[in-house]
Amino acid sequence: MITIKNLVKHYDNHVALNHIDLSVGKGIVLGLLGPNGAGKTTLVSILNGLVDFQEGEIEIFGMPLNRELHAIRKRSSFIPQSLALYDNLTVLENLRFFAGIQKISGNDLHQNIDYALTVNRLHPLRDQKAATLSGGQKRRLNIAIGLLNNPELLYFDEPTAGIDPESRNAILETVRSFKNDGKTVVYTSHYMPEIENICDDVAIIDHGRIICQGSLETMLQGEKGDSVLVELLHASKAQLSELAGNHKGVEVIDAATLMTHHLSAREMGALLTALEAEHIALKQIRYGTTNLESLFLRLTSQGSCDV
Amino acid sequence: MFRAMLLKEFLLLLRDRHALAALFIMPSIFILIMSLALKDTLGSDRVLSSYTVVDQDNTAQSGRLQSFLRDNSALQVHEVILTNAAQQQQALNGALHFVLSIPQGFAQNLGKEQDGPSLLQLTVASDVKPEVLAFFQAELTKGIMRLRLEKMQAELAPFLPDVAQRLEAMAFAGDGLVAVHFNGMKANEQPTSTQQSVPSWIVFGMFFVIIPMSTVFINERKQNTLMRMSAMNISVPVLFAGKIAPYMVINQIQVWLMIMVGIFVVPLFGGDALTLGHSITGLFMVSLGLSLAAIGTSVLIAVMAGTVEQATTIGGIINILLGAIGGIMVPKFYMPQAMQDFANVSPMSWGLEGFLDIFLRGLGAEAVIMESLALTGFGAGLLLVAGMIFSSKMKRGA
Repeated sequence: MITIKNLVKHYDNHVALNHIDLSVGKGIVLGLLGPNGAGKTTLVSILNGLVDFQEGEIEIFGMPLNRELHAIRKRSSFIPQSLALYDNLTVLENLRFFAGIQKISGNDLHQNIDYALTVNRLHPLRDQKAATLSGGQKRRLNIAIGLLNNPELLYFDEPTAGIDPESRNAILETVRSFKNDGKTVVYTSHYMPEIENICDDVAIIDHGRIICQGSLETMLQGEKGDSVLVELLHASKAQLSELAGNHKGVEVIDAATLMTHHLSAREMGALLTALEAEHIALKQIRYGTTNLESLFLRLTSQGSCDV
Repeated sequence: MFRAMLLKEFLLLLRDRHALAALFIMPSIFILIMSLALKDTLGSDRVLSSYTVVDQDNTAQSGRLQSFLRDNSALQVHEVILTNAAQQQQALNGALHFVLSIPQGFAQNLGKEQDGPSLLQLTVASDVKPEVLAFFQAELTKGIMRLRLEKMQAELAPFLPDVAQRLEAMAFAGDGLVAVHFNGMKANEQPTSTQQSVPSWIVFGMFFVIIPMSTVFINERKQNTLMRMSAMNISVPVLFAGKIAPYMVINQIQVWLMIMVGIFVVPLFGGDALTLGHSITGLFMVSLGLSLAAIGTSVLIAVMAGTVEQATTIGGIINILLGAIGGIMVPKFYMPQAMQDFANVSPMSWGLEGFLDIFLRGLGAEAVIMESLALTGFGAGLLLVAGMIFSSKMKRGA
């Protein structure tokens, strides 16, 4: 469905995407994970033909992006992170406008609007002004607009940012339903549980490079076990590196974070004692961190994939 | 596609009370106020000055002089009794411009050669404009000359009846001696303050599309609605066309609403009714050119400004500057020649001249071709620049 080869994008002297290779199969939900500024939004913008790139080749639906952008866009849809809609129009007016500019008319217009309203549970709100909707309802309308052309491929850019858990669950359920409909989804997010919940494949992007890509299941195989995240106050990376050298199963994530793997209670006690001896205060200890989160933190700190 | 864009812009505008006020109510009020405020300055039956008479002669001749003055609608007599200097000074500090004193012996001295004291005494308020004083003096001189002519005619009648009869005929020839024709207007038609004001404030009001246009455009850009539309295969030219078309319609609604205000509302408040001129085609040519110029300016500002606040502030300042330079605030004929020449840099001046050609000078479509082309070229040029900047920003992901 999507094949990216050697993609390079830079803004003046800043390299945003550094020789990216990525492929996404049909009917797959791909989670695109990465810290802020890693290049996720730039990649999605390029895939939608919104931003130029300097090098590389992109094929979508087997068609080259730079030559068949029009045809590709007709079969795909981009749901931006921001609420790209009109507050002063009603839900239905928003949908009609965005359908109208895509030249959707007649039976398709009614069917597609009905589908978008149904999937996003917006029927009862159809005559309500967007300005009066809650944050979660606006997000759903934002998604509904993206469904008007009945796309085969959907790009979601942080669709659940800043909304309540109930709305988040509703949106995740909607994305899951796309998978059942055979649609392909590229889903960018910060939230690891979301990615674990809905994605088949994951690509982790950091500093403009894809540092790991594969099926979620395969990736997490190496992460089975009891990981504990130890967050610290006022530590230095040198101190932590020394500590990690003295304790088995302890990994330094950054200057304020350690991750432990398969530590017994005694080993954990020894680590905490050592921290206390070094006058390093604890911020919090997180047991039961998700496997994907631990993998993500490890990979983004190491800068490479070893799974 | 255009239908959807048109409908969207209309719905957004209809639900934006501030924009509606800026586009429709503000220029309507300007037209009403300025038509009424300038009625006495530009109208045909305006009152130029007010005066009172202290008649110490009380003769038929002094009465005749007052009668001549009363016949002139530009001079308004106030019947006040002034018995001392203090009352006179108080009157001149108030509503009166002149106190005319007709001294005793006026009638007797009419036929004498002017080597003694003046025939009349005129006291003038300190704020009277020189041209108004000159006009009043000329009216008094004219009155005296008529009285002298009448006196000569009466004296000659017994001896030279033919000459006396001819003198009588000449004395009462009146204003018909000079026929006045206003350029492009029918006989008996005169330019009014409404004819001057409506075109000015139509032009000014049309440029106020900057406010709703830039507000919607910048919000669309900030919320990534434009980006979303771009991802839906809407190209920049189509996107711009989707902005231009609705606002051209809105501008035309403005033009015709302002014209209706001039025709129907201004007379309700005592002003002169607007007359349309003779060329609807010319009117459309100028208004469409002006619309493109206003929309081009709006889109360029919207593309370049970072925030709605910036756009509305910059847009407002540009509007006022273009209006001040272009003869909207102060009619060009009040300006010195150098300023009149400078006014030609403002597209508002081109539009105003085009409208004045139609409304005031009664000219046809051929007279406004240059103005219309200049406005269209100006607007198209700005849209081109705006399109290039916008495309570049979008492609850079800015």
